[in-house]
Amino acid sequence: MAKPAKKLVIVTEKILLKKIAQIIDEAGATGYTVMETGGKGSRNVRSSGQPSVSDTQANIKFEVLTQTREMAEKIVDRVAVEFFNDYAGIAYIYDAEVLYAHSFCGPGGC
Amino acid sequence: MDFLGQFLQDFVKQLQSPTLGFLLGGMVIAALGSQLQIPDAIYKFITFMLLMKVGLSGGIAIRSSNLQEMLLPALFAVAMGILIVFIGRYTLAKLPKVRTVDAIATAGLFGAVSGSTMAAALTALETQKISYEPWAAALYPFMDIPALVTAIVVASIYLKKKQEKKAPASLSAVGAYAGSGSATGYAGSTSEYRSQHSKRVRIWPIVKESLQGAALSALLLGVALGIFTRPDGVYESFYNPLFRGLLSVLMLVMGMEAWSRLGELRKVAQWYVVYAVVAPLVHGLIAFGLGMIAHYVTGFSLGGVVILAVIACSSSDISGPPTLRAGIPSANPSAYIGASTAIGTPIAIGLGIPLYLGLAQAIMGGS
Repeated sequence: MAKPAKKLVIVTEKILLKKIAQIIDEAGATGYTVMETGGKGSRNVRSSGQPSVSDTQANIKFEVLTQTREMAEKIVDRVAVEFFNDYAGIAYIYDAEVLYAHSFCGPGGC
Repeated sequence: MDFLGQFLQDFVKQLQSPTLGFLLGGMVIAALGSQLQIPDAIYKFITFMLLMKVGLSGGIAIRSSNLQEMLLPALFAVAMGILIVFIGRYTLAKLPKVRTVDAIATAGLFGAVSGSTMAAALTALETQKISYEPWAAALYPFMDIPALVTAIVVASIYLKKKQEKKAPASLSAVGAYAGSGSATGYAGSTSEYRSQHSKRVRIWPIVKESLQGAALSALLLGVALGIFTRPDGVYESFYNPLFRGLLSVLMLVMGMEAWSRLGELRKVAQWYVVYAVVAPLVHGLIAFGLGMIAHYVTGFSLGGVVILAVIACSSSDISGPPTLRAGIPSANPSAYIGASTAIGTPIAIGLGIPLYLGLAQAIMGGS
């Protein structure tokens, strides 16, 4: 009895953490997971592991589970328009199935 | 001639200081591809320790000093912070292949203050036994915040003017982007977001963000604790003895960082290199001149003049970049962080501090 959901992943700059978290909250998602990450993209290698003086080089990855595709699109739409022109970032979405999560699946359970 | 001889002698002596030695050492091992790493957490802790120490000693001193003396130097610090941005706006930004927003952000970062450079200057002054007003370190925020605020305001005025000129072009670009981004057609709402987004720049959030930054919070907390509590015991037994050793580790990290950022700088216009070498020294000399005015008018000590010159010379490396990144998002961080960290800071520590110290000593010797 798994509940189908959408998993939205946003990889972007660490200094946007609070602003994106707020967008996710406002869209009505019940929660999210954030990880510190690094990698390579159109703006070259980021979070390369060298000592860095400020957080401007660090990346984060948001994972958000949403009940509907609309909610995920609402989030990613705001994030892309507000930030992706000026900051490094990419977003993608895939199908997921949520298991054993009361808060996500509602009182009936998954 | 004697003046010049004395100056050169002091200058060379400064070049051999451990502070600079560690900085160059860091650059050398990074250049050789060393695997040495200083963990981020340690680096952050060291910056905290240094600024806390500087803040505490300033706060302890403020308790027993006349704050009216601080007025004129603080005013000069504010003026310097603003002036530096406009110097950059009308020199660097006019050079070929330099984007104006990048230039304004670079000028803002060079106007802002580096805590580590200031700590290095304080150590150098103590080594040379030149006295300074301990509250001089508290001039930091007076220059730092005006510089960042001015840069962000100037940049947004410039961007707004530019946007008005070519409004149709930029709108269609955004529309195209949104269209490709979402399949279900959010184009209408995205342009709405866009127009809401280009609202007027508000100054208070920038000031708040600077004050919340790691460097200034530690410094101001230190000052407050120094004034209102009696931290002399913990200051003498912990913060003060550790200061020099930790500074040397910090300098090593700064050197490594400087080298790793050099590569980024190569991708932007070469004029940034010229600016990053010349501008700090010019800024410092202007501030030195202003400091000398305060020296003659209110008896601001020569050590204090050196500190004012060094903070004008320094470019922010800890708290400035995130503030600017958030405040002027369209500026290329490789340009301003590269110019500041890779060249500006080593120049300020390697040439700036000995230059102003030497000048002060030569003036002292002469009078």
